[in-house]
Amino acid sequence: MKPMMRQGEWLGLYVASVAVALGVSAILIRATGGDSLAVFDALIEGSLTGSGRWGLTLGAAAPMLLVALGTIVSARAGLVNIGQEGQLLIGTAFAVYFGFRIGGPGPFNLVVLLVAGSIGGALWAGVAGVLRFRRGVPEVLSTLLLVTVASQVTAYALGREWLLLASNSVGARNNVSEQLAEDNRLPNLNIFGNQIPSSFFLGVVFAVIVAFALARTVWGFQLRMLGRSPQAAQRAGVSQRSFGMRAMLTSGAFAGLAGTVMFAGGGFQFSNYKFVPGFSGNIGWTGLLVALVARERAMPAIAVAIAFGALRTGSSFVGSTGVEARVTDVIEGLLVLALLVPPAVMFIRDRRRARAATTART
Amino acid sequence: MSQAPPDRTGVDAHTAPTPAVDLRGITKRFGAVTACDSVDLTLSRGKIHGILGENGAGKSTLMKILIGLVLPDGGSIHIDGEPQQIHDPLAAARLGIGMVHQHFSLVDPLTVWENVALGEGSRLDPGAVRKRIGEIGDHYGLHIDPNARVGDLTAGLRQRVEIIKCLRRDPSIVIFDEPTSVLTPEESTTLFESFRDVVAAEGRAVVLVSHKLDEVLAATDEITIMRQGRVVEHLRTMNADARTLARAMVGREVSLRTERAALGLIEVDEADESLAAPAAASMDREPVLSIRHATAIGAQGAPVLDDLSLDVHAGEILGIAGVEGNGQRALGDLLSSLVRLSSGEVSVGGNVISTRTPGAMTAAGVGVIPEDRHDSGVVLDMTVAENLVLMTPQQVANRGVLDRAKLARRAEQMIAEFDIQCAGPEAPMWSLSGGNQQRVVLARELSYAPEILVAAQPTRGLDVGAIEYMTDRLRAAAAEGVAILLISSELEEILDLADRIAVMYRGAIVGEMLRADADLERLSLLMGGAAA
Repeated sequence: MKPMMRQGEWLGLYVASVAVALGVSAILIRATGGDSLAVFDALIEGSLTGSGRWGLTLGAAAPMLLVALGTIVSARAGLVNIGQEGQLLIGTAFAVYFGFRIGGPGPFNLVVLLVAGSIGGALWAGVAGVLRFRRGVPEVLSTLLLVTVASQVTAYALGREWLLLASNSVGARNNVSEQLAEDNRLPNLNIFGNQIPSSFFLGVVFAVIVAFALARTVWGFQLRMLGRSPQAAQRAGVSQRSFGMRAMLTSGAFAGLAGTVMFAGGGFQFSNYKFVPGFSGNIGWTGLLVALVARERAMPAIAVAIAFGALRTGSSFVGSTGVEARVTDVIEGLLVLALLVPPAVMFIRDRRRARAATTART
Repeated sequence: MSQAPPDRTGVDAHTAPTPAVDLRGITKRFGAVTACDSVDLTLSRGKIHGILGENGAGKSTLMKILIGLVLPDGGSIHIDGEPQQIHDPLAAARLGIGMVHQHFSLVDPLTVWENVALGEGSRLDPGAVRKRIGEIGDHYGLHIDPNARVGDLTAGLRQRVEIIKCLRRDPSIVIFDEPTSVLTPEESTTLFESFRDVVAAEGRAVVLVSHKLDEVLAATDEITIMRQGRVVEHLRTMNADARTLARAMVGREVSLRTERAALGLIEVDEADESLAAPAAASMDREPVLSIRHATAIGAQGAPVLDDLSLDVHAGEILGIAGVEGNGQRALGDLLSSLVRLSSGEVSVGGNVISTRTPGAMTAAGVGVIPEDRHDSGVVLDMTVAENLVLMTPQQVANRGVLDRAKLARRAEQMIAEFDIQCAGPEAPMWSLSGGNQQRVVLARELSYAPEILVAAQPTRGLDVGAIEYMTDRLRAAAAEGVAILLISSELEEILDLADRIAVMYRGAIVGEMLRADADLERLSLLMGGAAA
């Protein structure tokens, strides 16, 4: 099949499925007494056209992209890491703890934050990695269950002043960490009047690195081989244990980094530069979806992350149209589904074509 | 002519008893291959009937037709004298036909009684099932603890559970499809001894499909021998001996097909002189590959390699003959760093190679054409070019970064040299035919100039042209000094290619001979475990 035709097929599928999602949403909005056009206007204004909204959208997209990159690395190695939400939390907790403990001038402290966050996420993924490669516990279960543990652990730490709780908050009702000082935050770049958060550029740089490493390095070659055929990989000296473990750690490090940029980054305000319970805000899960929709490829993940970021920033404006919050959730869900349908359809079509090709030969 | 109604009791003073099963002219074709070619088979009540034949002789297809898994293209089936159409296994079950399958269909985490009850439509009564298991155990000598977890049982006891599962439905016709491939000799002897009396007393008709000579001789009353889809011989067990069976099973086609094989039909003393008659010429040199007392435990807890020792010398093709499932796969996997030894060692060029380090064999210069190429030979989702450097991507990389141009050049060169039919270096591996995938494997394994090349079932599933190409290449490699270990269940292939032949049985080498001294009968006997 010609590449052009294939791209046309992709585009057609996306247009069709998004159109169907919007159509169903419109019916739903009408049925609940709303104005569908106003809702769609709000979505677009909130994510793109509104003043400063571009920057927010990219700021929301950045951590999703980072989580997705980690997911891509582990998925290519044949590992199903679905615990990014937890790795993100632990990573952020590490960043907050060491960031405030070590202190130092702005740029230095920022580096400490990013490094500590990555290490924290990697360690949490490493727990699942050790269980998988030493004890044979399926990582799909352990990573998922460790999300719950992570949220309990961070909640505990946020209640203890010697861990994460802000020192001046004695008697306060909320368990909140100290706020990150202004000169320790990730800066925004002013581009065409939009404040574009540097976290987004960080994500793009990492996406390029991951894409290159997977496609063009021996490491990526062996990682892909491991994911596709562990037996062939073992013959070639690619040990499932050490390669898989490293892929798992990398995956967790990206999730931890994602949490850190949510904490220290500008753009979309996740929690006003403070670490709070429920800080992760489903970014770990959304990042998984980004990787899935991008079909585990790093460069397309950039565009997909922006789309998901737009959905998040846009939906915050929809509330103002008077539509019920529950309806907004449904619309968001429909649009996510719309993005997931084309890869599934193409997967099935490719399967059929491959089968037709093989049967035709024999 | 008046036709008497079929006699259901099978007792008639005037005629022979109506056979339990009468297959007439059963024919089944799969494409160009005729699996069964007008096969006649008669099973009598109270008798154990052995069906003997090599892999691919049509035994299994015939049994699948009887159990309703395969529909015949021609012929008729009479059960108790009445013509029947068996369209599916349920129809076979209604006719009282039960089968004990070659491969276990048990659920490990469940207990014995749960497994036995599995698939029963009626309401579950644990007490009744346990009681029935006890009754069957007493009756047939198949004692087992109904509360034991199947996952904890040995292969022999699992086989017992399979048999109880089948007997629980009280079938009047029982088919055993190679039931002893996982049993020890003692286990199989006990099983059939206790079975025999009961079968005769209750008038059941039993089929034992096997390629083990000693087992068939010990357990059956009648024997039918199949070869290439036809019945070549039918005889009473008391008139049979291992030698005649082996001859009938292998047939004369082999000797006609290759001139060299004709030399094989010389009578030799049956005494075990196998290990005393090694390849004299090659013993002068140091072996390139040396395996000593290799023992490895399989997933089922039974040894897949059991004190196996062999040597391969430079420029020599050592053929490993044997009925499939006797550890050949484990031997190939051992040399692919996929199997760990629990004892024994492998050395290449005099250096002991660890079986615990992934890739150690490849690094030591062992090339492998694996038995199942989709398992460890190729990665279907990667490109042809990538598959051609699968084991050594470092060779087309600078400082860890792949050199695309170099990769493509190298791939194009290998595609041309080995005449691989594909859309180009970037074509996905799955788009290639089996023969061309096999060429990719061959090209790659030869590309890093291995000292040893393991070829496991290298021509399986290939067409004639591809087979010829493969055998020519293997010969050429040997001529260049590569030590070749050819593992094949095709005796003809081994006789055609090997300089020396070793027979594998139950995870060990049970006999060894020079090709020039090869004797088909003795080979067959060794493969059947008769001389082991």
